[in-house]
Amino acid sequence: MPELENPFQDTQMQQHRAQPCTLVIFGATGDLTHRKLIPALYNIAVSGDLPPQFKVVGFARREKTDEVFRAELCEANAKHSRQGHNEQMWGSFAQSIHYHRSEFEDVDGYRALAGLLDAFDKERGTVANRLFYLASAPEYFDQIMEQLRKAGLNNGIGDRWARVVCEKPFGKDLKTARHLNEVVNETFDEGDTYRIDHYLGKETAQNIMVLRFANSLFEPNWNSRYIDHVQITCAENLGMEGGRGGYYDTAGALRDMVQNHLFQLLTLVAMEPPTDLSADSVRDEKVKVIRALRRLTGPEAVGQNVVRAQYTAGSVDGVPRVGYRQEERVNPESRTECYVALRLFVDTWRWQGVPFYIRVGKQLPKKATEISVHFKKPPQVPFATSVMIPDSENTLVIRIQPDEGISLRILCKQPGQALFVQPVKMDFHYSNSFGKASPEAYERLLLDAMAGDATLFARRDEVENAWRFIDEIEKAWHESPSPPPMCEYPAGSWGPKAADEMLARDGREWRRL
Amino acid sequence: MRAALEDTLSILGQEVPLGRVDRELKKLWDSDEAKTRASLMNFAIYSEDAAALPRNNRLLEELTSEHACRAMLILFQPDGPAPRARAWINALCRPYEGKKIVCSEQLSFVLEGGNAAQVQNIVFAHLDSDLPLVVWWQGDLTSNFEERFYSEIDRLFIDSAEWTHPAAEFAMLEDACNGATSEFEVHDLSWTRSHFLRSALAGCFQDAVALRRLPHIAQIEITHAPGQKVAALLLAAWIAERLGLRLDDAAKEVRFSKRDGGSVSLVLAEGLAGCCVQRLALTGPDLRAEVAREPRCAFVRVCTSCDGHAREEMLPADVESEAELISSQLSRAHGTSIFIDMVPLLRRMLAKA
Repeated sequence: MPELENPFQDTQMQQHRAQPCTLVIFGATGDLTHRKLIPALYNIAVSGDLPPQFKVVGFARREKTDEVFRAELCEANAKHSRQGHNEQMWGSFAQSIHYHRSEFEDVDGYRALAGLLDAFDKERGTVANRLFYLASAPEYFDQIMEQLRKAGLNNGIGDRWARVVCEKPFGKDLKTARHLNEVVNETFDEGDTYRIDHYLGKETAQNIMVLRFANSLFEPNWNSRYIDHVQITCAENLGMEGGRGGYYDTAGALRDMVQNHLFQLLTLVAMEPPTDLSADSVRDEKVKVIRALRRLTGPEAVGQNVVRAQYTAGSVDGVPRVGYRQEERVNPESRTECYVALRLFVDTWRWQGVPFYIRVGKQLPKKATEISVHFKKPPQVPFATSVMIPDSENTLVIRIQPDEGISLRILCKQPGQALFVQPVKMDFHYSNSFGKASPEAYERLLLDAMAGDATLFARRDEVENAWRFIDEIEKAWHESPSPPPMCEYPAGSWGPKAADEMLARDGREWRRL
Repeated sequence: MRAALEDTLSILGQEVPLGRVDRELKKLWDSDEAKTRASLMNFAIYSEDAAALPRNNRLLEELTSEHACRAMLILFQPDGPAPRARAWINALCRPYEGKKIVCSEQLSFVLEGGNAAQVQNIVFAHLDSDLPLVVWWQGDLTSNFEERFYSEIDRLFIDSAEWTHPAAEFAMLEDACNGATSEFEVHDLSWTRSHFLRSALAGCFQDAVALRRLPHIAQIEITHAPGQKVAALLLAAWIAERLGLRLDDAAKEVRFSKRDGGSVSLVLAEGLAGCCVQRLALTGPDLRAEVAREPRCAFVRVCTSCDGHAREEMLPADVESEAELISSQLSRAHGTSIFIDMVPLLRRMLAKA
């Protein structure tokens, strides 16, 4: 029987229509579920956007009842929910939450899960779609996928779908990413696989495409003829607080941040206009950017274009900080970078010769993620030679976080008899103009996964091409007989001198944040 | 009356000569560097009710906390003695993360004894350039609501619950919308008040079994607050349009006919004072989809029963204050013609109801 259309729905929904489904979270007792996923779902419910008959099943190894699980989540939601916590609303939402205890490798646990999902379907009177969320550590992905397959949960029933959402890190190099992709794609079609990168759920990241393609002002100038260079900075003023050193020391800044988040921002800035806004059209263009990145092969190329560093003792906001190697759960002889700066080139017609400078680091002076597009300086022909023109170019800044917004630096004549030119900043702050808070990235991404829109999720080829690029740098660092040096910078500074020198060699400098 | 109005005018801020509004606004901003001015649109409230002035002033303050704008409050008193216009300026500020103060600017005008041209001139002369014009026209659409005015509007808010003669007012609105120079989108608060209720109803039919039963409904039941009959009729018109029902012209009461020859009756009931629509139910053989709201509750209870299974859930209810209604509507995507497309059917229903 063909699916009937709900005649009331299309006039009401102005965003993605989340389809009725059951969400199964693997690793449901973890931090991500408590801090992000459940508060996001609760906020979606408060906004009235949760699909009807929605259910959440927490799948984890510890023994607990639905009631205990709900009580734990209630406490977490009260702490982390963006729109506060209403007992009445929580009471209604919590009825949809269930707990299922099982080992990840126990096929019987998955069969029991299938039974539970069937029971929900009976209760509903119809078969529901199924969304599996891998919030567990990546080493369990293999087992979970295998058991889902064995229990027959990976296939939708009839016209119902089954999808999987994978949390980062998606591999630690090309080999492991490929393996994970193979495992996941043996179980779910690529079209049903949603690799989450929460940066893409941020309002300002989504606005990059709008800024570029909905404003005729920028796109004609968005190329090597007018743009001198692009900088992407992701600065954190924290170190390894909360025991994070254990994981971080096995990953490093390049793998933890550049391969995913910063490359996503880079692709949004550098991509060609997609033919339409379908997930694959957008992702096709993003993949082309990654593939066009000029490879850094061998220690010499890496040494010239990449700077890695660790912080030493210093202070941030007046608070003393220990060095990276003295951090809790970090190897005292660690060779893991907590700062990396890269000089990249996108070898396309549009970007020929335009460097993209990327830097990310811990224990920097402040927390900020920003993209700055630096335009070429004009020839100054109309002005007399005596006129002082400040050495600053037009700069378009897209602030991803915090204080989301856009600013444009232009040159203006300073009032007075003489012709003095000064840079001034035109500034747009989301918070000034839109008093309403943006939804959390996870709210948007969960709704998209329920609605079947994969635009803001990474595709397999995107992930693998990014790893292919990153692996060559890692190889030069860790397998070369004469690896590029590990630099140092005091905590609270803007990174190692070598990173400044890398730009100085090009006659440029890092933008002051 | 005039004395009472005079007493309330001080709430509007600093009175300034009409010809110096821009200069005085500049002074206002220059005097405090800590304040940041922001604006996304021109938002004007037009009212002919002097008693509504304090309420409208409060409303703009609430509204600008979420929607930065150049706010304009226009009180028109057609029965004033000689034509006279007075102006006030004010900054409506809100703190942001304790660090800075973000402000919208409010311009207030009291116009006495003038005409439509005077209203237009006042509005057009004080718009923040390049930003859209959103007008909330309060009360009846009077003779001042004429083409030269509405042809400049981008979004028009009205509240048909306030209208003295809804059938005539809707006819006037329809004519205005069909005008050659009209490009504005209409938001009727009577319609906005049922936004989440409609979403809740739509949610009932995400259930495949209930959806299959939907073509067989026989009755639409709506309980509305006193004075909110138009809101109930709008809701019924929307349901009829979405289900492809036709108004049965032969029937004395509002009744719809289905393509298969069956009929759907409409039962309206006046409930207690409180939220605009208190209960909506679609019933038919082996189907009952009901959305109900208790007084002062922030949620609606949604119950769907069909084919022997039933489910119940809570969903957010519609906001009630005018400021919240306008604010939420401004936050939604716009550009749809659903409301205005329903007006012809609604007018025919009004003739029967």
